[in-house]
Amino acid sequence: MKKTIAILLSLLLAMGLLAGCGGGGGDDDSQGGSGSDGETAKELNLYTWDGMFPQEVLSDFEAETGIRIYYSNFDTDEAMLAKLEETEGGDYDLVIADDYIIELVVAEGLAQKLDPSKISTIGNINPLYQGQFYDPADEYTIPWGSGIPLIVYNPALTGFDLTGYEDLWNPALKDNVALIANYRVVNGITLKTMGQSFNTEDLDQIAAAGEKMKLLAENVRVINDSNTQDFLVSEEVAAAFLYTSQVNAALAARDDLKICYPKEGLGFGIMAAFIPSKAPNSDAAHQFLDYLNRPEVAAKCFEFLGYYCTNKAAEEHISAELYDQLVVPETVTEGEIVQNISQEAEDAHAKIWNEFKAACGQ
Amino acid sequence: MRKKHQNRLGQQSGAQALLLLPIYAVALIFVLGPLLYMIYLSFMSRAQVWGFVNEFTLDNYAQMLEPMYLSTFAASLKLALTSTVLIILIGYPFGYFMARLSADWKRRMMLLIMLPFWTSSLIRLYGWIIVFRSNGTLDQLLMGLRITDRPLKLLYTYPAVVVGMIYALLPFMILAVYSSAEKMDWSLLDAARDLGAGRIKAFFSITLPLTMPGLLSGVILTFIPSMGLFFIADILGGNKIVLVGSLIQEFLTKGRNLPLAAAMSVVLMLITTVLLSLYRRIAKTRELEGLI
Amino acid sequence: MKKQWKWSHAYLAAILALTYVPILLTVVYSFNESKITSVWGGLSLKWYRELFSDRDLREALVNSLVLALCSCGAATVIGTMGALGMEKVKLRANGWIEYISTLPMMIPEIILGMVFMATFSLMGLPFGMTTLIIAHTTFCVPYIFMMVKARLAGMDKSIEEAARDLGAGPFRLFWDITLPMILPAVLSGMLLAFAMSFDDVVISLFVTGPKVNTLPIKIYTKLKTGVTPEINALAALLLVVIIAALLLSNFISAQGRRRQKRAAEAQQAEAAA
Repeated sequence: MKKTIAILLSLLLAMGLLAGCGGGGGDDDSQGGSGSDGETAKELNLYTWDGMFPQEVLSDFEAETGIRIYYSNFDTDEAMLAKLEETEGGDYDLVIADDYIIELVVAEGLAQKLDPSKISTIGNINPLYQGQFYDPADEYTIPWGSGIPLIVYNPALTGFDLTGYEDLWNPALKDNVALIANYRVVNGITLKTMGQSFNTEDLDQIAAAGEKMKLLAENVRVINDSNTQDFLVSEEVAAAFLYTSQVNAALAARDDLKICYPKEGLGFGIMAAFIPSKAPNSDAAHQFLDYLNRPEVAAKCFEFLGYYCTNKAAEEHISAELYDQLVVPETVTEGEIVQNISQEAEDAHAKIWNEFKAACGQ
Repeated sequence: MRKKHQNRLGQQSGAQALLLLPIYAVALIFVLGPLLYMIYLSFMSRAQVWGFVNEFTLDNYAQMLEPMYLSTFAASLKLALTSTVLIILIGYPFGYFMARLSADWKRRMMLLIMLPFWTSSLIRLYGWIIVFRSNGTLDQLLMGLRITDRPLKLLYTYPAVVVGMIYALLPFMILAVYSSAEKMDWSLLDAARDLGAGRIKAFFSITLPLTMPGLLSGVILTFIPSMGLFFIADILGGNKIVLVGSLIQEFLTKGRNLPLAAAMSVVLMLITTVLLSLYRRIAKTRELEGLI
Repeated sequence: MKKQWKWSHAYLAAILALTYVPILLTVVYSFNESKITSVWGGLSLKWYRELFSDRDLREALVNSLVLALCSCGAATVIGTMGALGMEKVKLRANGWIEYISTLPMMIPEIILGMVFMATFSLMGLPFGMTTLIIAHTTFCVPYIFMMVKARLAGMDKSIEEAARDLGAGPFRLFWDITLPMILPAVLSGMLLAFAMSFDDVVISLFVTGPKVNTLPIKIYTKLKTGVTPEINALAALLLVVIIAALLLSNFISAQGRRRQKRAAEAQQAEAAA
């Protein structure tokens, strides 16, 4: 039995080594990274969610510049913030995260100002996404994808057409609604149905929204942040409130699904890239941003990502069948961004959200 | 204190005391250190953006008395107890029967049990989604056997969550029971039977006491994690059961309230400790001394 | 007696079969054409193609294996030594240390990851493989410790004493007597610890550095674009490799046993002649 384990362990180790060598044709030793090839180690430590870029785009950049990309991931924006706080803005060269957290990152002094002269393609950015609350003077960030959470439904199962958030409360949808798990957004659409703003700091209004959400609980079958569109595609639910990439994935999987731009008003979210204050390779990060904002490259990325394209020049490179999904329709330019609000209001949101979840479980 | 013992026990155990060095070091440096930091955090005030402000407060603990949070503790406890009891009922006989197999089969069984756990837990949960979803494997099986005539909508229900919990923690119980049943002296059992003890009586007077250390380890290894596990409830329960673990996660991430998350973890730690020491007292296992 | 045995075998087989249901479905769905993990869309090998073209995933796999092997190995040594030591040397602090070392199991991973991160940065350790191994070793130790301890409880110590009386040194004693006695528990603990480490995501997320991604991290952080059946293909592949390794090791040890037996027979024949 001792022998068995010894053999097993060595096999596992061998397997690991094989997997390590199997891939890299020209790659130098992947560990360590301190390449002593005469010049300074050319590398880029990219920090964002997994699956933000097609492999091809990353490989092309490496081939073109000789910079090795180390792509590591976080799950929540806050985990990223925690890491940056702990490393004091070091370790990572380029981060892509959500709008609201960037406001905090900048406020904490964890981001550095970009050097526009090093990003020749900066003019390709759609001005619609510039000058936002998290970076009013566009000093720190480059927008990278935006989204509008929308309702998608299966008309055969709902039996009626949905026109607004209010329709999610319709008793006909009992136990038939899937929601994303972002509480500011879900609480926010409840506020919208009451004629309020996503960002209200009026505690009474938030509490009232909480009461209204308890009525929604009957209809909720599942609350989930990832792959939420699956429930719609597999007919587990009749209607779902989804992020943009999920909306696009759902529509791509089934063409009988319908999309609803809620009449109460839309919520907007923007993702953006920034360079941490003590990034070890800020030149490489600038180079990567320059590369990403080339029209063809950006188009390739957004077709893969499924979020709205934030690069104006890239729009003409987006394939015809995806164009409508990736370029925000002219009719819906108006949207409200979910922003950071007072601590008391945030706490009130957390409270009504947990009460809502508990009500759903009953 | 250590020196005194060494003197009393002589040179032999002086060398043997070295065996204890690594575990003492790990426990004191890498567990106690971070934990003291956590306890310290739990008495601090929250910061505007991230981290904490060095101001003593008991607010974090006071907040825990809100009915919403109390009911969350109750929900976690209920799920943990339900799963642990079911895991004992399923896992104990498994470990016991396994210990009676031939040496070759024992080894094979051990690997067969662990094999599924060398893949990702998320992937395994997706496997259960395929089983439970409407018109999924289970629905089709039941409808094929004409037990029901329409999809049961089992996914995102409490039973689905319990199945997921059992599935995730069962091997801990099985292996713990197995490794203590495996060294059992079976002749004692035969002797009891020869003396006329019924099967049930022989089990309670011989088998159970002899395998108690394994059962206790098993309970510790399943009950403790089950108090903190929440991603199973999130995925198979559709995020509709609020557990302590998910609250702590929310405080820490969405609320960015480190001190509150730390305070809640301290309370969770205390509750778990008290329950385990109660259990130990009831189980009366003198062989395994220790605090919990 | 015979009949009772059969019932127990049926029970073992039934429970085991149930635990394999989700795994088998995972494997089946790795050949799924559809991008939706839970809906069948026809047969396809495309996820395996994706898998093989994904360099980052391969690196993450290697990192995960190295991490699991190192931390499982370290935890095995530390946990086993600790359980043995506590059996032999009764210190008053033993109970406390045992309690402290099981605490990581009681605290939700996310807060544990946070405080680990803070502690490591306080100690000035750079985030990366080292911090990962320390963190994983720490939460793996109690699994091995508990297993070995339960095994040692009430074990017959007369054999050890007899061996010592016969002059066996402490190392010999451990290798020939103690280890074989506690081996089932050590192995059980190792198997659990390996699985725990290989699967951990929350703690790893906090204590890892910019160049070390693990497999679970990659799987769990596909939040913006969603998980694809590529991970099913990965799981299927891992299973195949593990099963192949098991069969091979089984085969090799069976060969070894046969050779030993043959050698013994030859010796006997020689002695007879």
